[in-house]
Amino acid sequence: MTAVDVLIVGGGLTGCATAWHLAERGASVMLVEAGELNGGASGQNAGSLHFQIERRFLENGPALAEQASRVLALNRLAIQDWRALDQQFGPAMEIVMHGGLMVAESDAEVALLERKAAREAEFGVPTQLLDGAGVAAIAPYLSPGIRAATWLADEGHANPRTITRLLAARAIEGGAEVRSHTRLADIGRSAIGFQVTLASGEGREQVRADRVLLATGAATMRTGVLFNLHLPVFPAGLTMTATERTAPMIGHLVQHVGRRLSMKQAESGNILIGGGWASRLQRGETGFDLSRPATIDPEALRANLKAAADTVPRVAALNIIRSWTGIVALTADQLPLVGAVSRVPGLYVAAGGSGFTLGPTFARLLAAEMAGERGGDGELALFSPDRFDHLNGFMG
Amino acid sequence: MSHRIATHHPEPILIRVDGAEVTALPGEMLASALLAADQPVFRADLEGQARGMFCNMGTCGECFVTVEALGRPPRRLRACLVPVELGMEVWRG
Repeated sequence: MTAVDVLIVGGGLTGCATAWHLAERGASVMLVEAGELNGGASGQNAGSLHFQIERRFLENGPALAEQASRVLALNRLAIQDWRALDQQFGPAMEIVMHGGLMVAESDAEVALLERKAAREAEFGVPTQLLDGAGVAAIAPYLSPGIRAATWLADEGHANPRTITRLLAARAIEGGAEVRSHTRLADIGRSAIGFQVTLASGEGREQVRADRVLLATGAATMRTGVLFNLHLPVFPAGLTMTATERTAPMIGHLVQHVGRRLSMKQAESGNILIGGGWASRLQRGETGFDLSRPATIDPEALRANLKAAADTVPRVAALNIIRSWTGIVALTADQLPLVGAVSRVPGLYVAAGGSGFTLGPTFARLLAAEMAGERGGDGELALFSPDRFDHLNGFMG
Repeated sequence: MSHRIATHHPEPILIRVDGAEVTALPGEMLASALLAADQPVFRADLEGQARGMFCNMGTCGECFVTVEALGRPPRRLRACLVPVELGMEVWRG
């Protein structure tokens, strides 16, 4: 039987990056992916590197905003991690960190920006508040209706289509075994680790693993069933859109504090528009069917495009070449679920929330923890799955 | 070279393509007018290679040109789906 130090389940950004870090440390690593590498949210998202407090955290009142803003501690690390990836992988990842703006139009939005910037300063995220003239000087492409913005020089974007594959290739070079179209069929536990049954087109195979990482995104609740655990992350469908290519116009990541919107121009010249507009999850027999893509909601798409054209008027003249959907994972307190699951020794999880921006950081910190270099009381402590352990009082 | 085979030809109109006058027939699509004027190159791809009309039914997107019709702002449109209009300005490339 094959035996590995670590089995990673899920071939997205976090899984592949963790495989790379662990392989570099000399661990024997196998990564299995039920579908195609990068086939989930890692490859479906619009590639924002957003390190300011996310607008979605500000939607549900001050208490939840306060709680969610604790993720800023990770955002600060993520800035360094993306700069490191850019150095290690070069231009192929198309990592561009030329700054990002979160814009405001109304008095209420300007006040919200001020509170947000103060909170960011507390966590050492160097956001600057700009008035209308300051914004226009940096980003003349914005609508004259924009009255203020918070500017963070480290924000930007990267190419979600290439990054995960480059990380997987580096993991394989380091000795990791990476298998797609291979799913976890069963799990047995013993004193010497996990007895894992893998299923693929070639049949079934037994693998023994000392440790297992579930980096399964929106499917994590379902993966948890194999371990007799509730891993409480909830799927949500999102919508993204690309315009045709056009001459360089938008040099930054653009977000709006009062409306759901993210915009950036990819290296190829296409403008990508997103920002958290819903798509509809498909219904299965007993729950949402995550094996089928979420469907586009035309009303949400129209509203998303209107927010884009209101904020950057020149995009109104561009053709849309494609809109698509992706399925992300959310948690009850909006913070990611990352770290060891104490109830099942040897089991780790990484899912939920901003997995593209924060994935490289999750991976680096998890690899160190799984390699025994640090305990679970470091940077990841706030995000420990154990905060929901009460859900597993009768499980495990 | 392409040519028109219609039996009934309405009065021609003039459009401008990259600043030069081109004769078109009311009711025909811009792509047809360009081909009839022996202008098969509609745009260039990322490598600078010439591209032109391919599917002629709005699917492939090879025939995108920038079109400014009277009273409307310029826009990139598929030439095979746009009826010619008097005074239309077209830019290729």
